[in-house]
Amino acid sequence: MTAQLPANGLRIRRASASPDPAPGIRQGPEYAKLVDISRCIGCKGCEVACKEWNELGIEPTENFGSYQSHRDLTPDTWLLMRFTELEVGGDLHWLIKKDACLHCEEPGCLLACPAPGAIVQYENGIVDFNQANCIGCQLCVSGCPFDIPRFSAETRKVYKCNMCIDRVEAGLEPACAKTCPTNAISWGTKQDMVALAERKVEGLRARGFANAVLYDPPGVGGTHMMYVVPHGDQLEQYDLPADPTAGAGALALLGTLRKGGAAALGLGLLAAGLHYLGFGPQSAEEDES
Amino acid sequence: MRRGDIKRFTYLERVVHWVVGLSFLFLLLTGLAFSHPRLYWLTTVLGGGPIARILHPWIGVLFALSFVAMFFLWLRDMRIDAQDREWLRAIRHYAVHDKAKVPPAGKYNAGQKMFFWTMTVLGVVYVATGIPMWFPGGVFGLGPFYGEIVNVSRLLHYLATVGGALFLVVHVYLGTVAYPGTIGAMLHGSVTPAWAKHHHPRWHEEQSGPSA
Repeated sequence: MTAQLPANGLRIRRASASPDPAPGIRQGPEYAKLVDISRCIGCKGCEVACKEWNELGIEPTENFGSYQSHRDLTPDTWLLMRFTELEVGGDLHWLIKKDACLHCEEPGCLLACPAPGAIVQYENGIVDFNQANCIGCQLCVSGCPFDIPRFSAETRKVYKCNMCIDRVEAGLEPACAKTCPTNAISWGTKQDMVALAERKVEGLRARGFANAVLYDPPGVGGTHMMYVVPHGDQLEQYDLPADPTAGAGALALLGTLRKGGAAALGLGLLAAGLHYLGFGPQSAEEDES
Repeated sequence: MRRGDIKRFTYLERVVHWVVGLSFLFLLLTGLAFSHPRLYWLTTVLGGGPIARILHPWIGVLFALSFVAMFFLWLRDMRIDAQDREWLRAIRHYAVHDKAKVPPAGKYNAGQKMFFWTMTVLGVVYVATGIPMWFPGGVFGLGPFYGEIVNVSRLLHYLATVGGALFLVVHVYLGTVAYPGTIGAMLHGSVTPAWAKHHHPRWHEEQSGPSA
């Protein structure tokens, strides 16, 4: 079955459950989004821009004792600003986390997906779900170390942030970065964004945030959405796993063992064939003669 | 059924067996399709990816229910006794058709009983690991299972499938080309006296009374 791949101008670097596409000679730049949490004022303009650009449905919410707009990501909410309140030395701090796909260099979702071409990674590093090929098994949800993909029971497909791939392809920044009034969200090549983050971290440390860090976890090969985290010692409080990994544990073992499994089935059939050639059928009627 | 043939399986037993067998085959083929990209093409003849994924757990329910029925239909005959243990010690003679060195079998030989019990254990594994994959968001007040529970389930489900598939190869091989006359027991329900005497001598005696 030939997988239908997304019809945009970007070269696909990797597709789920598929042999890697032939490597191209041309190497496009890798892009990344940098979220400077210290500059976020919690206005949620990015949430609105995300809904608007991607034409996602409006979801009613309620007051549940937080400044957070909704409780959780949904198939129609690809971006959620999470507000965690933390007291540090008697001062109340808001740990705001822009909860959306991090676009891992080694995407756990893509590695877990059994449907060819349902998850693709473009040459620029963006990871996209291609619902045309999705079979609705939700194994990507269990493969993701950041709990991002959301399954729609209505369409039986899984959805998440696509980094506004249609904007990026046209040379524009993602809608959230475009709308952010404080420049907390920057967009550029991965290299430039890492350099920018390092300057920001240095600046934060100079201003007394001694634990400020760049969150670009190596366990998933780095990400294409990175954070500048002012309280780098509180990653768990931000709901950011300290050392996320992709395709590890049981999935890695499965990847290895399934080669042996296929061989075992082949050998089983071969053994039955060889047994027949060696010993043949054993007919009961021979006893009579 | 020709004159003198011996009834081996009732109509109910045959129907239940084939529901178990055909549902297992569907589950095996769709499961293999999801297990490896190189086998994904199998979904093309099984309804396409999304339909195969929707059907797999429901056919799994059919498999589980029919297996339970088969389990209780045959349980009485599947007890492993001292003679079976003797048979198992002689299994290498059985494998090379050296009949003289194999202790006489009853209605089922010890190999068939091992197949029955292995599939029972594997069936439990299929269901126990299939539930988290079917309802990763939780079911029956259990869960959510998202994360490593699903990943480990996936691994165990796969390993159990390889085991079940290998036993299936042996089962189908022995039941068809290796021992002519066997498949009839599962199609029209009866076997010839010669077949019974050859493959299941103790059962043959029970059926026809002690003879020379």
